[in-house]
Amino acid sequence: MQRRSIAWLAGLGSLLLAGTASAAGFWTDAAKPYAGTTIRGVSESTPPSNFVKDVLAPQFEEQTGIKVEFETTSWDQMYDKAIKDMEANTGIYDFVYIEQDIIYSYLSRDFLVDITKSLKDTPALASADFSPDKFTSFIDYFKDANGDLYGVPMEAFVKIYLYRKDLFGDPKAQEAFKAKYGYDLAPAKTHKEYQEIAEFFTQWGKDNGQELWGTTLQAHSGHPSSWYEFFESWGPTFGVYNWGINPDGWSATVAHGGSMNSDTAKAALTYWLGLLKYAPPEATASTWDEVAASFAAGRAAQGLVYGENAAWIAADDTKSGVVGKVGVALPPLAEGVQAAAESGKGYIGYYDGGAFGVPHSSKNKEAALLWLQFIGQESVQPDWAVAAPRITHTATYDDPKVQAMDAKIDGYYTLLRDSGKLFAGAPAYPFHAQVREATAPFFYQAITGELTPSDALDKMAEAAETELTNLGYRK
Amino acid sequence: MRSSTIGWLFLAPTLLILLVFGMLPFVYVLVIGFTDWNAFAAVATPHFNGVENYRRLVFDDQVLTALWLTLRFTIFAVVSELILGYFLAQLFMRDFPLKGLFRTLHTLPLMVAPIAVGATWRLLTVPGLGPLSYYLERWAGIEYRLNTYASQAFFTTVLMDLWHWTPLVTLTLLAGLSALPKDPFEQAQIDGANRFQIFWHITLPMLRPVILTTVFIRAMDALRTVDEVWMLTGGGPGAATRYIGLHIWRVVFPKTDYGYGAAMSLLTLYLTIVLCWLLYVALVARKRSGEDSR
Repeated sequence: MQRRSIAWLAGLGSLLLAGTASAAGFWTDAAKPYAGTTIRGVSESTPPSNFVKDVLAPQFEEQTGIKVEFETTSWDQMYDKAIKDMEANTGIYDFVYIEQDIIYSYLSRDFLVDITKSLKDTPALASADFSPDKFTSFIDYFKDANGDLYGVPMEAFVKIYLYRKDLFGDPKAQEAFKAKYGYDLAPAKTHKEYQEIAEFFTQWGKDNGQELWGTTLQAHSGHPSSWYEFFESWGPTFGVYNWGINPDGWSATVAHGGSMNSDTAKAALTYWLGLLKYAPPEATASTWDEVAASFAAGRAAQGLVYGENAAWIAADDTKSGVVGKVGVALPPLAEGVQAAAESGKGYIGYYDGGAFGVPHSSKNKEAALLWLQFIGQESVQPDWAVAAPRITHTATYDDPKVQAMDAKIDGYYTLLRDSGKLFAGAPAYPFHAQVREATAPFFYQAITGELTPSDALDKMAEAAETELTNLGYRK
Repeated sequence: MRSSTIGWLFLAPTLLILLVFGMLPFVYVLVIGFTDWNAFAAVATPHFNGVENYRRLVFDDQVLTALWLTLRFTIFAVVSELILGYFLAQLFMRDFPLKGLFRTLHTLPLMVAPIAVGATWRLLTVPGLGPLSYYLERWAGIEYRLNTYASQAFFTTVLMDLWHWTPLVTLTLLAGLSALPKDPFEQAQIDGANRFQIFWHITLPMLRPVILTTVFIRAMDALRTVDEVWMLTGGGPGAATRYIGLHIWRVVFPKTDYGYGAAMSLLTLYLTIVLCWLLYVALVARKRSGEDSR
């Protein structure tokens, strides 16, 4: 019996070794013609990208002999560099980061290589360990109408409601809150609750001599991140979808069938701007990074934070001052929004993420295709998900390492798996940055108080329509 | 071989570089300025649209506001730098303890890249967290909110420019002052002229070419400032520091409106030339005509 068990274990071990060897063998064999090549890529400097740079790239180099030069930079610079390269067809980059909201612009300009077709045409490059079927439905954002893939997802996360469990659980705070507002202190389900919690903790901070405010806000008065915070995170919680633009005739004003300046949008913006008085002073200088930093520094009791930052805020005590004190929940919603999201007619927040794609201008497409498949293997996902809270493969949720991490971040991964379907990516607009740039100046003026929320949205809706007319979409 | 041919041969590499990297891009921008070209338009190829971009520019509130702001920024920054730079140059003409160290420290900002200057000032001024805003509020009760109050943002960009570029003005004026002959000053002292009279009637007229060059260089730089301000305020709050260079950058790159952006760049170039010409007329040509008529 014992001998049989040993033989069985030995057999299993040999099979596993053979599997590993054959996987490693594929990369070595397939990459042989390209060994010594250097491929270059550009991405935003985020926790998932940094894992690619520090861990996956060296592994790929070791197995293939293909060197990966990966530039991680600011969001603005990343787009600036990638678009210039693809537009001018210079071929500096062999792979580029494609955020979910820019894919439609890239596809409209035919910037990207059709990965499905390329792998079909060159079977020697196709790895058995890479399968689009193993990804979550987030991969669908990177497919065209025919189902062909143009980007391999490398991160996917939702913008989540983070709150301070220690503050919400403090008996004194609970007692004072109930005395003032007449209900129990708990993560907000409605906008009214969110505002009252923000008000309460701002006052709590003052009364207790703490640098604590009620909410973080991504409200930079000169950076597009504030525009995104409103249109992709807070607007949908009020029922303002797709930036208020109606694809039927590309209208934005209510007069023409859009909803950018609708009463609901105006109420949403008034509410959001009203939260500024409960936000730390740095809120009007905060982009996505600073919001995470503010929360991690313990300066806010709650906030909507990009999920890619949830892990380090909740678990990395070298960077965060609130380790073990972070709770996650779904964002507060207006009446009817949850039902609309469940029926597929709306969404409750932003499902963000990105992929790597190969530009047509690349001079090393084959090597880059191998690299994209390498990062898209199921086997590399769990460590990546632990290092940076992004999940692109369905199986990753069940990995023990990921489940252990899930417990540390208050069930963020479970929430992502169970409720991810209620969130949505950006609408499929090819004029993404153009409309944003045309309307953002008025939005910034609303933040500083130069324009009322109503006037700002009226001007934005008009500017959006003018821009869409100039671009030739709106007749 | 004739000497003029040899001369042209020596000049050829420079002329070639000038043609390839100077003239050709300029001609390209000139041509693009007459097209309607946005990389993400329904039809993304450039097509000729005559002077439409220039017509739009004249009625574009954002462009006009950006130009006015840039002019204000340039006047505030350059005049302040000139005054402060002159006093510092005069200081360095004298001997005092640790002069060498002070001069080195004073020159250091010149070596810092504009983007790093912007980042440093941003860290200094982040509302509630940056040392400048934190201590101004704590010690002086001043609510310093760069991203909320337009005038604070504007003057902080001027101050940042002052910090970065005053050393250049100081060094240029110092070189000019060092090169001035001593005789006229000695004569003036013998004749009993006071300090102001010496400054007004001798130093200033003799230093005029150096001042003019410095003002030209700084004005041209200030008119096209981008990196530092982009890093510090992003052009905000609202459009309070959205200077024309930054506005052009936003139109050309994030918005990919190449045709309109090119027209805007050319208009800015034209206005810069006009401004410099006006300065030249005001500071040199009028002086010369005055001397000629005497």
